Amino acid sequence: MPTLVGVFDAPGPVRTLADKIKGRSLGELEIYSPSPFPEPDAAIDKKPSRVRLFTLIGGLTGVTFGYWMQIWMANDWPLVIGGKPFTSVVPYTIIGFEMTILLGGLLTVLGLFVVGRLPRFRLDKGYSPRFSGEEIGLAVTCRDRDVAEVEALMRDSEAKEVTLVDA
Amino acid sequence: MTPPPAEAVAARLASAPVASDSKINRDILSVLDGASLKYWGLLGLVVLGVAQAVATLAYQTYIGMGVAGYSHPIFWGVYIVCFVFWVGIAHAGTLISAILYLFRAKWRNAINRGAEAMTVFAVVTAALFPLIHIGRIWKFYFMIPYPNQRGLWVNFKSPLLWDLFAINTYMTISIVFFYVGLIPDIAIARDRSSGWRKVLYTILSLGWQGTSRQWKAHNRTVLHLSGLATPLVLSVHSVVSWDFAVSIVPGWHATIFAPYFVAGAIFSGFAMVLTLLIPVRRIFGLEEYITDYHFENMSRFILLTSTIVGYAYGAEYFIAWYSGVEAERTSFFMRALGPYWISTWIMITCNAVFPQLLWFKKLRTNLPFLFVLAFLINLGMWFERYVIIITGLSREHDPAVWGTYTPSLAEMSILVGSFCWFSMFFLIFLKIFPVVAIYEVKELAIHENAHGGAH
Repeated sequence: MPTLVGVFDAPGPVRTLADKIKGRSLGELEIYSPSPFPEPDAAIDKKPSRVRLFTLIGGLTGVTFGYWMQIWMANDWPLVIGGKPFTSVVPYTIIGFEMTILLGGLLTVLGLFVVGRLPRFRLDKGYSPRFSGEEIGLAVTCRDRDVAEVEALMRDSEAKEVTLVDA
Repeated sequence: MTPPPAEAVAARLASAPVASDSKINRDILSVLDGASLKYWGLLGLVVLGVAQAVATLAYQTYIGMGVAGYSHPIFWGVYIVCFVFWVGIAHAGTLISAILYLFRAKWRNAINRGAEAMTVFAVVTAALFPLIHIGRIWKFYFMIPYPNQRGLWVNFKSPLLWDLFAINTYMTISIVFFYVGLIPDIAIARDRSSGWRKVLYTILSLGWQGTSRQWKAHNRTVLHLSGLATPLVLSVHSVVSWDFAVSIVPGWHATIFAPYFVAGAIFSGFAMVLTLLIPVRRIFGLEEYITDYHFENMSRFILLTSTIVGYAYGAEYFIAWYSGVEAERTSFFMRALGPYWISTWIMITCNAVFPQLLWFKKLRTNLPFLFVLAFLINLGMWFERYVIIITGLSREHDPAVWGTYTPSLAEMSILVGSFCWFSMFFLIFLKIFPVVAIYEVKELAIHENAHGGAH
């Protein structure tokens, strides 16, 4: 299927155009931008990122593991110190906290890799180094018969350039 | 009407010439270009500094801890002072990256990368000192809870173990945070490089393309890492302070220690950011990105934290007097007027007195003044840790076990080596990765253009 790439200077028109193309079901969209722009990104996917689930799971695993590790180890070799109980939950909070942050943080990054589909070994054909400059790219993979319509929409939406990258 | 085939459209779509690259990319990536003779000279000098410290460490490891100035009753000396100092330095990066991010303080965008790099290198430097301090470096793994034949586990009620977990967590999260922030910028560098750099950046950028999905995940990741790093940064120096406060040594056993250490850490960290970024901005001509406004805001942080630290100094003396505890009173009297009085007065003047000059706006934007002040603060904060540790141990409860400590040549050699080690990493960083977060600066610039410069 052909992919048309429109090059834009500002995020606003990209959002409007993306909404139009999605509304008319003209093809699959991908936006490439040099920095994060919530407006066009929302046109692709409005739902909150699933990275938060990874953070939650990591944090809960960390706190559980942190306390469990200390309680189990303290009881595995029970040494009586000053007649105090083997398990001292209050001081264990510190390492419990550190483990929450550690696993929460590491799983958040795992979330970035999973949700952001990284690493990628090949760059998309629609990607151009221009999109790590200051321009924004909107790539639309559509059917042959929709190419002209998509192109016209792009040009109407202030695209400074439209290219067919994959016919 | 029959739509034209794709090929026909393709023929019609003449590619316009590729627009010239972004000025922001050019300006910031130009820092990576080439390296002057001065740069290589400086790098060579710090590598030599590291080499002499490594030689000293080898000598100390072979001979024993006697080569350090440790003697009864002082067995925590310059190495622990350096450990606390470098952990403190590491705090500003996370504060700028995480806490200011959560507060949406956009001014942080131009300085966060340099500060994060500083954090990573400072914490890596700090982590060496417990190893150097224990003498038998190869026994380090005793501190880690691992299954062993004796069935013994570490003592989780010990602040030293809390410290191990806190520092390692901080180091890991700082590195992860630093790398995640770098990914989009490495991709920018990848698209504009060749040779070995292209290979390196291609691997490290992980195929980043700046798609909506990637940005969305990236934004969320930075937000969550900031949320996690914020309590972490406040906890790390609190835990370090408990290494002291949980003991019963006069001058250490104080509830004020955690907030006092955290404020001091942020204070010294900002001073180190100034020490690094003032010359970086000047040498690489980054005045357009790292502006006087940034330095003024950092100066305000320094003024605030200096005031907190000054208050803590006062509170310590007041409580020592008010408590009526003889050992406390003596310890603090000895701090100011005993054998370590010079260190104490360097600490007070550099940390609590000189920074008060920052009440004057003219001085907050006077970079030569800020550079000198930052140096004095770094000096003062090193001496603060020296005063706390050495005066505390030298004047404990029983006068029969009082003693004095003088750092040995070996300790001085490793102290100098630690600054060289830190500088070596920073110098290499300057030539490998963008020192200013390009995508964040661009975000502001493109939004500004889109809204007609309304911000």
